Amino acid sequence: MPTPPPATTRSAERTAPAPGTVALLLADARLPGGGHAHSASLEPALLGGLPVDDVPAWMAGRATTVSLVEAGTAVVTAHVLTTGGAHGLDAVARAWAARTPSGALRDAARLLGRGYLRVARTLWADHHAVAAAAGLAVRHGSVPRAVVLGAVAAACGLGPADLVRLTVYDDAQTAASALLKLEPLDPLVPARWVLDACAAAEPHVARVAACTTPDDIPSSGAPLTEGWAEAHALTQQRLFRA
Amino acid sequence: MPENPLPETAPTTTARPLRLGVAGPVGVGKSSLIATVCRALATELEIGVITNDIYTDEDARFLRSAGVLEPERIRAVETGACPHTAIRDDVTANLLAAEDLAADFAPLDLVVIESGGDNLTATFSPALVDAQIFVLDVAGGGDVARKGGPGIGRADLLVVNKTDLAPHVGVDVERMVADASAAREGRAVIALSRTDESSVAALRAWVLDVLAAYRSGAHVAQDPGPMAPHFHADEDGGVLHSHADGDHAHSHADDHDVVAR
Repeated sequence: MPTPPPATTRSAERTAPAPGTVALLLADARLPGGGHAHSASLEPALLGGLPVDDVPAWMAGRATTVSLVEAGTAVVTAHVLTTGGAHGLDAVARAWAARTPSGALRDAARLLGRGYLRVARTLWADHHAVAAAAGLAVRHGSVPRAVVLGAVAAACGLGPADLVRLTVYDDAQTAASALLKLEPLDPLVPARWVLDACAAAEPHVARVAACTTPDDIPSSGAPLTEGWAEAHALTQQRLFRA
Repeated sequence: MPENPLPETAPTTTARPLRLGVAGPVGVGKSSLIATVCRALATELEIGVITNDIYTDEDARFLRSAGVLEPERIRAVETGACPHTAIRDDVTANLLAAEDLAADFAPLDLVVIESGGDNLTATFSPALVDAQIFVLDVAGGGDVARKGGPGIGRADLLVVNKTDLAPHVGVDVERMVADASAAREGRAVIALSRTDESSVAALRAWVLDVLAAYRSGAHVAQDPGPMAPHFHADEDGGVLHSHADGDHAHSHADDHDVVAR
């Protein structure tokens, strides 16, 4: 006869996973959220003429500009949902859109947002933060990925600094993974570039993690990336959505 | 639970269109088969098509240029160079595209999803499609049907395509279909040529039958599984099992006869 499970097992089943574990889940490319069809702007950049040798510097550039816009949006979303009401999300989404001038990149981020929302609604179905992001999707017809990330952070208790690091890492790793589909190279080489990009963002983590209002969200842009994204959206030869 | 109705999750009722997957290796005529289905049914069904090209939107453009559907009803999604992933491990992009098509052209009867051509192990997840067609062609060789695999063995329908080419490539169509039928334990097989009207009629009738069964609630989506049923030798004499039967309690780390992706 099997031994009955000890009482501690039963109570452990009701315990939430550590927020850091949820961050690992969200950063894992095996999570079915639709991310595998995206290149974090790398395919548009290469098509636009970025030399492969410049990719590491380009990744560090993203980690200190557009990734911080995404990270700040997620941080403010989590703050709004943790401290106030869901009504504040509209302003967060507007602030994000104002800082993401390329329509192609906004569309791609909203597509990712729908995929992430499917994940979030499945895994945190009862949490008000996820319901608030879903409500925004109904009102606006879509919700950007960064807002869903912020809602998940609020739902699982992920702190703002780790949320910034998660956002930066996910962007860098997405580009690194896409690079292996686009250029021949040793798969371990871009792993170093991911760590370098994350290191480049580290001096900015505290500043972005401290954001509490939509106005606080960084507005650091990357105009060349935005132009490449617009051109890429019109091509007929794409491996990746954006 | 959220109070608002949510577009991200289509209701799992027969109110939404039947989602039909079409998979099979590169070059077997998946796009052509879809054009044939659309041509045969466009006057009686509202149809949308999603293509999963690997490098380009070639398939979507082929179907648009075939003139069998309004161009807007044919959409391409990117797969990040992983056509297998997009129909099985992470169906998000296809699911969202299917929901969008259904919303934009409501009421649709049928959404056909064409997989990017992949190997014999690629099948659709039941999270994405209600039924699936696996396509082979005679030009790929008469022995392919015997090789088996989840799509050949357990897709809802196996199509042996381009039968009009059989005399030119030295394939005995009857024998290929017999091999396929044996591998499929009696599941449906159609030997198709777009120039053979009776075979097109058989395909048309099969689609309508599946649609009727889906609407009545009688149709249950089957997962062909990522792998073929296979034999595990052990001290008790071994066991033949299928991954469609829910028996996953063993590792394939040492298997050499299975390609996982």
